[in-house]
Amino acid sequence: MAAPRVPAAPRGGADVWAGLFWLAVSLGVVWAGRDLGIGEVAAPGSGFLLFWAGLMMSGFSLAILWTAVTAGGPGLAALWAGARWQKVVLTVASLAAYAALLDRLGFLLATIPLMLVLLRGIDPVRWRIALPVAALSTVGLWWVLKRLLLIQLPAGAFGIG
Amino acid sequence: MESLANVALGFEAALQPVNLLACFVGVFIGTLVGVLPGIGPVSAMSLLLPITLTGSPATGIIMMAGIYYGSMYGGSTTSILVNIPGEAASVVTCLDGHQMAKQGRAGPALGIAALGSFVAGTFALVALMLVAPTLAGWAVAFGPADYFSLMVLALTVLTFLTQGSMPKALLMAGVGAVLGLIGLDSITAQPRLTFDRLELYDGIGLVPVVMGLFGIAEILHNLERPLARDIVQARLTQLWPGRADWKASAGPMARGTLLGFFLGILPGGGAVIASFASYALEKRLSPHPERFGRGAIEGVAGPEAANNAAAGGAFIPLMTLGIPPNVVMALLLGAFVIHGLQPGPLLMTQNPALFWAIIVSMYLGNIMLLVLNLPLVGLWAQLLRVPYNVLFPLIVLLSIVGVYCSSNNVFDVYVMIGFGILGYLMRKTGYEPAPLVLAFVLGPLLENNLRKALILSQGDLSTFVSRPISAVCLAFAALLLIAPLLPSLRRKRDAVALDESA
Repeated sequence: MAAPRVPAAPRGGADVWAGLFWLAVSLGVVWAGRDLGIGEVAAPGSGFLLFWAGLMMSGFSLAILWTAVTAGGPGLAALWAGARWQKVVLTVASLAAYAALLDRLGFLLATIPLMLVLLRGIDPVRWRIALPVAALSTVGLWWVLKRLLLIQLPAGAFGIG
Repeated sequence: MESLANVALGFEAALQPVNLLACFVGVFIGTLVGVLPGIGPVSAMSLLLPITLTGSPATGIIMMAGIYYGSMYGGSTTSILVNIPGEAASVVTCLDGHQMAKQGRAGPALGIAALGSFVAGTFALVALMLVAPTLAGWAVAFGPADYFSLMVLALTVLTFLTQGSMPKALLMAGVGAVLGLIGLDSITAQPRLTFDRLELYDGIGLVPVVMGLFGIAEILHNLERPLARDIVQARLTQLWPGRADWKASAGPMARGTLLGFFLGILPGGGAVIASFASYALEKRLSPHPERFGRGAIEGVAGPEAANNAAAGGAFIPLMTLGIPPNVVMALLLGAFVIHGLQPGPLLMTQNPALFWAIIVSMYLGNIMLLVLNLPLVGLWAQLLRVPYNVLFPLIVLLSIVGVYCSSNNVFDVYVMIGFGILGYLMRKTGYEPAPLVLAFVLGPLLENNLRKALILSQGDLSTFVSRPISAVCLAFAALLLIAPLLPSLRRKRDAVALDESA
């Protein structure tokens, strides 16, 4: 009796998804170029280069997709195997939260907590090192930029900084 | 006589206290950046770009240039002592430099790296002084079609030499060019890809793009796995190489200098390629190639000389043609443009004091680097003991501040985070950021010259092949595009393909 057929693993999963993403972007660029006006060869319009660049990008995306499908490659999950992806997510989330709060809280009040999160939350540094590093680096940089170089930094709703 | 008068003019400007200080700060930060793994010259230069805006154009550009060639010097320290290259051009120095350190010869390895760098850097500057005026004279005759084809060649060479798949590198160049076109059309003032966001009408800033793709992406990548460091703990004594070391290094140093200088001039080339090419050349020429990788001083002297000579040579296309041959020079072009200057053939005649001040300051910077690198190497080695979990939040902080200061707008911080995530995912899936950044800078110039060439020729496409310079550039670019399809040439490309992103 023949062994039951095992469905083949998806080939080149990561490259297929990346190729599809870039193909969609490329087609978007082609569309945007056409929308802006390609013009004529003697009088190229605003969308001339966008249109042709988009077409070339589509070609390269299709080549990447073709290679991914025919030659295979690692799946998406394999790219993060054994990686500490949680640290990456935490860092990105902290940075996004920081950007959202920077104008509201001001440079000093937003930056010290960010530094503490990065120092303590990723690969924990002892508090007796984390606290002075976070405070001194932020205040030191603020002083150099604001007082020495006269560069404007956000003071936030509380006017601190 | 005119050259001497120009050099005197350059000395007069470069020796002004503020410019000397800028040069010192630049080479000091550059060495620091080169020493510390996880932050490369591209990140450091974009970080400090906003700060250089507070001074005169000469002061700002002198500091930026100092960071670049300073990092080339500093990068060798980490390669030799820790086996982690501080920047990409020092990757090859790890092979023999770290082996020498393990054998108790860290001092001569660091010494020959610093001295080789000095000799090569000095040669490159003298050659730059001699070659630049002649090349700038020729460049005045370049038309839009020539400039367009030269930029196509620069992008093609870079994509050819980039690690991994060529379609991916070409795609990244396309993405970079498109991103560079965001904002108002320079001819019709029509908004392009702005999505009705006012912040995008001036285009995306170079600083957030570079900080995201190189700085933040590098940090996210490093956080995935703990960085292992194999620091050589032995005390550093006897930095000056002995007679036998000098004898063994003189030839590789001279060959590395010449090779590096010419590879640095080529569009798309750079310090990384030069260091690998020099290593391969020395190994091939050596009567004992088996010693390479086991602590051969020739394997340190040649590549270190080559990467510094290339760093000097790379200024030639930027200063004479206004075309950056690599990402670092693209950033420097950004600095010129922000200061309201356009590097190119006319810079030397319209602003000779600035041009020659930059050149002379590079020479002074080389002397400062020698002073910094030899006596302070112990201090740099101590810096390597700062743990990465303390270092990376500081790099993040500097990145945020650098990006915010470049525009005084939180929008750019979001752009940096976005490009950080994109850069991280690009690394994961094998897409190199270097072609994207170079095309991002060249995109608007490329479009402008293409449209001018087509309008001037009334739509006659043969203008690109009837002009000799343009025809040669396009033919060479076409050859490089076809090359990966031929198995023998593909193997050669794989052998020289490099990661320029660090």
